[in-house]
Amino acid sequence: MSFDFAVILAKLPQILSGLGVTILIWVGGTFAAVVLGFVVATLRRFGGRGIEVILRAPIEILRGTPFLVQIFLLYFGGPYIGLRLDPWLAGLLGISIYGAAYYAEIFRAGFQSVPVGHVEAAECAGLSRNQIITAILLPEMALLVLPPALNMSVILLKETALLSLITVPELTMTVQAIGSQQYAFVESLVILALVYWALVELANWLGRYAERNLSKLSA
Amino acid sequence: MQMDRGAYGRVDTSQAKAPEGPHREFDMRRQLIAAATGAALFASAMAANAQDALDRVMDAGVLKVGTETAFAPFDFIDAGEHTGLNLDVFEEIGKDMGVEIEWITLDWTGVLPGLEAGRFDVVAGPATITADRMQRYRFSSPIAEATVAILACADCDIETPEDIAGKPVGGATGTAQLAQLREFAATLDTPPTSIGEYVSFNESYADIAAGRIVAVANSLPNIAFVAQQRPEVFKVVKPAFGTPAYFGYPGRIEPEYATLMDKIDEILLAMKADGRMATLQEKWFGTTFDMPDYIIEPKI
Amino acid sequence: MTWKLFSLLLEASLMTILVSAVSILMGLVMAIVLSGLRMSGSRVADAGAGVFISFFRGVPLLVQLLLIFNLLPVIGITLPSLATAIIGLSLCTAAYQAENLRGGFEGVAPGLIESAEMAGFTRMQSFIYIRTPIALRMTFPALVNEAILILKASSLVSVVGLIELTKMAQNLSASTYRPLPIFAAAGVIYLAINLVVAAIGQRAENALPGLPGK
Repeated sequence: MSFDFAVILAKLPQILSGLGVTILIWVGGTFAAVVLGFVVATLRRFGGRGIEVILRAPIEILRGTPFLVQIFLLYFGGPYIGLRLDPWLAGLLGISIYGAAYYAEIFRAGFQSVPVGHVEAAECAGLSRNQIITAILLPEMALLVLPPALNMSVILLKETALLSLITVPELTMTVQAIGSQQYAFVESLVILALVYWALVELANWLGRYAERNLSKLSA
Repeated sequence: MQMDRGAYGRVDTSQAKAPEGPHREFDMRRQLIAAATGAALFASAMAANAQDALDRVMDAGVLKVGTETAFAPFDFIDAGEHTGLNLDVFEEIGKDMGVEIEWITLDWTGVLPGLEAGRFDVVAGPATITADRMQRYRFSSPIAEATVAILACADCDIETPEDIAGKPVGGATGTAQLAQLREFAATLDTPPTSIGEYVSFNESYADIAAGRIVAVANSLPNIAFVAQQRPEVFKVVKPAFGTPAYFGYPGRIEPEYATLMDKIDEILLAMKADGRMATLQEKWFGTTFDMPDYIIEPKI
Repeated sequence: MTWKLFSLLLEASLMTILVSAVSILMGLVMAIVLSGLRMSGSRVADAGAGVFISFFRGVPLLVQLLLIFNLLPVIGITLPSLATAIIGLSLCTAAYQAENLRGGFEGVAPGLIESAEMAGFTRMQSFIYIRTPIALRMTFPALVNEAILILKASSLVSVVGLIELTKMAQNLSASTYRPLPIFAAAGVIYLAINLVVAAIGQRAENALPGLPGK
């Protein structure tokens, strides 16, 4: 068996378009997941016991089931309850909700890591709840939360590959389609792996860069 | 040229049944096959180090067959059990060869790569016999018609294939049926709004039921089966828009696989001759197809 | 959702559990070897292990499984689907577990290693008998967490031809046209398995002996 990478690379524009979709869904999904996760974590922390109990169940369900099952449920099951989403919208929503559950846990741990005394001192000093969150909790937890949050975003990047199974024209689907058109299956998989590897290493590198700068800032 | 028939030298009892029309150049095809087989035999003599696939299968007592399970009524899962025409056909092949059949089931996107990687000896599938694929694979004698038509939602406003203009449609990725749908779509004044690529046809059918797309292009035997199972959801839109085509089982084109594929052809032709194939087609398609014994120059 | 369909899902979940359990254990052994390579002092071994870990953490499991499935036969290794699935999952989890273990190995008090070496342990012996058990004990919660991750990740092994819980759900959904209850039921089974694993992990964590110098 001989390898012919040229037939795959000849389709570079298609590959780049797939890469674009992957990055768009990754960045958009991660952003939405962080925001949603933060809202959930804040509600759990400050919303009282009732809300805490109500929010715990969906988080446990999302964290205890495979992402693949979740997107199948959303994409193929959704229409039966009137939720008929386009593939890319289902993918974006799937990534956002799935990621939000993990980010909610990351932020919860972050909140917990801030010593109770700091919050109590702020309360005594007469700071409002919003002020406590923005002035005390957020800056103190940012450094602690950053590494797991960046790690999670890399996990989400890799999870976007599964969206090929619900026909989102992202990187995996695009390169695999080229591979089967050109009968260059192994080559297409090798290229696919290399592109993801490079993307993940780049994301990791950016993450480390951000961590270094943030720790310098707070030092 | 009789003596040049090489491995195909056995008497072909079903020749009389071969349809007229597109298959008139039958004798010429046969000669082409003979020439190809001769070349293959010569090449296999050169490649003495590669073990003959038929010998290997017979020694192991197992014929490994790769397929997908989302291609009713050829291969599908009914109440958790793998079933379909292919199982019945390969049961006969296994019986005639005196070997066990081992099934390896993958998504269709993984099946042809698996064949090339040597994961299995032959593919059930089946796959549409196309000129492009014949460069790459050795196809068995055809087992069913594969001409492509439209499966649409039962209550949709689609009465002719052209009615898919301006509407979302779909098909299974890496299939000849999808390629034909694309070609057909390109001939329409208003193209379909989108052509979704699904991992398997099952997912595309599910999206018709879910209302995301209005139609899927697949071969007649497949969509006839689906529409018959769920007439309240699906309907077959006639006439077929695709070029007349046939399904065959793809195998390896390398010379060491020639004897194995010849053996499978021999059994398939015997099944066509003694009526076993017709019985199975009646069982799974509710009809029988007239098929040539060999496809030499596919129209697609 | 009939009992017949649900029992088919339950049956398929046995494959999920089998594949995950074997992969976790094989991955753990590989992770210990990888950790050993990283700490061996050999620059080549360290770099090799580093590239391995980076690759398997950097490529989606779906792509890894497809690559292993299609690439191994090219170099003359043809394994059945079950073996391919287990190898794919093991390699992936090995990379993650090696990273988890790294923290554990770094946390072993240097004094312990020194006293072991003074007592006549070779480097290898102190790695196997002192550092590894302590690192494993320290990172036990991460192992439980990884087990849950792999149980979920095993939903992908159908791409190499194995019929486990998710693939069975896909098949049943296709034949019944009832994706909603079937995927929901599959989700419930995954959740149940993972809750059990988490509970067992918690009990084991409490039952395990404490750490030296804690």
